[in-house]
Amino acid sequence: MGGACSRKRDQQVNEDNLNRGVSGRYTKSGSSKWLGTSFSRASMDPSQGKQSCPSLMDLCICKIREDLNKYSTFSMLPRDISQQIFDDLVCSQRLTDSVLEAFRDCALQDLNLGEYPGFNDSWMDIVSSQGSSLLSVDLSGSDVTDSGLIFLKDCKNLQALNFNYCDQISDKGLEQITGLSNLTTLSFKRNNLITAQGISSLSGLINLVKLDLERCPKIQGGLIHLKGLAKLESLNVNCCNCITDADMKALSGLTSLNSLQIASSKVTDNGVSFLRDLNKLALLNMEGCPVSAACLESLTALDALLFLNLSRCNLTDDGCEKFSKLQSLKVLNLGFNEISGAILVHLKGLTNLESLNLDSCRINDEGMVHLAGLSRLKCLELSDTEVGSSGLRHLSGRARARMTERASEKGLSKDNSKSQRSDCHTSGLLNLESLNLSFTVVTDGGLKKLSGLSSLKSLNLDARQITDAGLAVLTNLTGLTHLDLFGARITDSGTNYLKSFKNLRSLEICGGGLTDAGVKNIKDLTSLTLLNLSQNHHLTDKSLESISGLTQLVSLNVSNSRVTSAGLQHLKTLKNLKSLTLESCKVTAADIKKLQSSDLPNLVSFRPE
Amino acid sequence: MKKEDTVKLISAEGFEFVIDKKAAMVSQTIRNMLTSPGSFAESEHGEVTFPEISTTILEKICQYFYWSLQYASGKETEFHIEPELTLELIMAANYLDT
Repeated sequence: MGGACSRKRDQQVNEDNLNRGVSGRYTKSGSSKWLGTSFSRASMDPSQGKQSCPSLMDLCICKIREDLNKYSTFSMLPRDISQQIFDDLVCSQRLTDSVLEAFRDCALQDLNLGEYPGFNDSWMDIVSSQGSSLLSVDLSGSDVTDSGLIFLKDCKNLQALNFNYCDQISDKGLEQITGLSNLTTLSFKRNNLITAQGISSLSGLINLVKLDLERCPKIQGGLIHLKGLAKLESLNVNCCNCITDADMKALSGLTSLNSLQIASSKVTDNGVSFLRDLNKLALLNMEGCPVSAACLESLTALDALLFLNLSRCNLTDDGCEKFSKLQSLKVLNLGFNEISGAILVHLKGLTNLESLNLDSCRINDEGMVHLAGLSRLKCLELSDTEVGSSGLRHLSGRARARMTERASEKGLSKDNSKSQRSDCHTSGLLNLESLNLSFTVVTDGGLKKLSGLSSLKSLNLDARQITDAGLAVLTNLTGLTHLDLFGARITDSGTNYLKSFKNLRSLEICGGGLTDAGVKNIKDLTSLTLLNLSQNHHLTDKSLESISGLTQLVSLNVSNSRVTSAGLQHLKTLKNLKSLTLESCKVTAADIKKLQSSDLPNLVSFRPE
Repeated sequence: MKKEDTVKLISAEGFEFVIDKKAAMVSQTIRNMLTSPGSFAESEHGEVTFPEISTTILEKICQYFYWSLQYASGKETEFHIEPELTLELIMAANYLDT
């Protein structure tokens, strides 16, 4: 498995990866931010064309950055100016112990030093000198210890504190922050030391609104200490496999909760029953929890529930009729469960649904008819199911004027008239923007049924039975921005049809059927930001020549091809390129490094490396 | 330059800089002063006094205004800032929102 074949088939829970309305396989860049942007993938937007004129502020900050050693202090400057200078130095990684000294007593409000190299306890003195001005500090990924946190006692107005991935902070550290009663946001993901004892230090932080304890394996029994946090709205204990039903009982009175994430915990149906009074709950993530559909009974009164993730819960069809009561749902993830198409009838009435994930469920064409009335659906994930061309017709509203004719005939049986009614109501999923049909049994002929879904922006057709003929029938989907044809058998002649997709931003064709001639057909797709042509063994440097005009490219992969280092010169124009993968080609890491230093300043990740 | 197209910017020491209105409007603060109905004196007489900005700095700022117009029209050159002016200049730039 080389870099070219970077597709993960079985992704574990990622941070923030709550729903894959578009499958994780499809979005190359890891987690899709599920919450605010359920329907867009990670941004690949390059910097906007021509630079606008730098402001005088920018020019002065740049000058300060050049002459840093001349400044012993910035405390005479108004705070908003020193804040801008600070942020600039963090961004340009020019902050050191000595430079930091200039920011003593500057009354800064926000210190975003997450993952900043070299940040340790000795910097905390400067942090604390901001005193009551300091509102937020991010010291995630740093070497700050429990002793370092003592310095925060002077920052009484601190509202947001982040010490994610700080391996040296323990229960003792939390003891130091008990007085920070203005804290509203606290986050310490992936901490292996903090226990329930540490959580008890939080019980007085009555203004806490958002608490993130993701991947803290030792906090079992700790949630009881949160009982008094009446303002708590958001709690994340994803991947804390020590969390049990008893911890849910502790949360039962926190009626301000609107977001609760307990993925991969040990919570069972019994634990979920303690959530029944959380009437403001809008988001509930129970991915990978040992629950069954019986838990839905506890959720039926939650009429604010918008997002529900029950993927990988080993659900079976039993009890799934309860889904029909969850009328408020907008986003539902049932991926990787042992459920069949028989449950789809229970989703029929969930007319607010905008995103539905049935990845790897035992769904087939039968039952797809029940989805036909979900007219608000924007995102449908059917990867690895037995859905085929027949099922697709229900999505496109192309069912059957014929049924109406038959209904008008005499001697109609009761059953026929019922099915006539359901067919008449299907106008199709006219709002569908994203559809994943990878590893299904859809064929070229079936794709014709999609041609009416002009709202489609994102289409995943990674399936070996899809060929050029399938592309041919999709050319009127001119709104497409993302097209994944990874393993489909596309050849040069198929690439002719790509010309219709003038708005394409992301394209993947890795089936091995392309030659340089086919890549020529892509050269006018100038909106492309992501291009993956790996595993097309016939591609040579001539293909890179065709690609050289795609100056918006941020990510390029031509691994497992006949590209050589002589071809790298064609990539000099790709000034927005951040990621380049040329594994198993006649290209060395040194060659790419040369390209990076001479022409591609934005290139941060490349393989081979 | 016609008088109607110019404004007069006056430094702390009383030094007067007469520049194109278009250049002065690169500063959002000056733009607001000259166009908002409340600032009657400034918009009536086309003069703005800056008691906190020294002559040297105000001169540099006027240079920036013209540099900025030139940059926007496609002529991209470097804008030189003497190191001893930087801190005063940044404060004035902040005030003038430019």
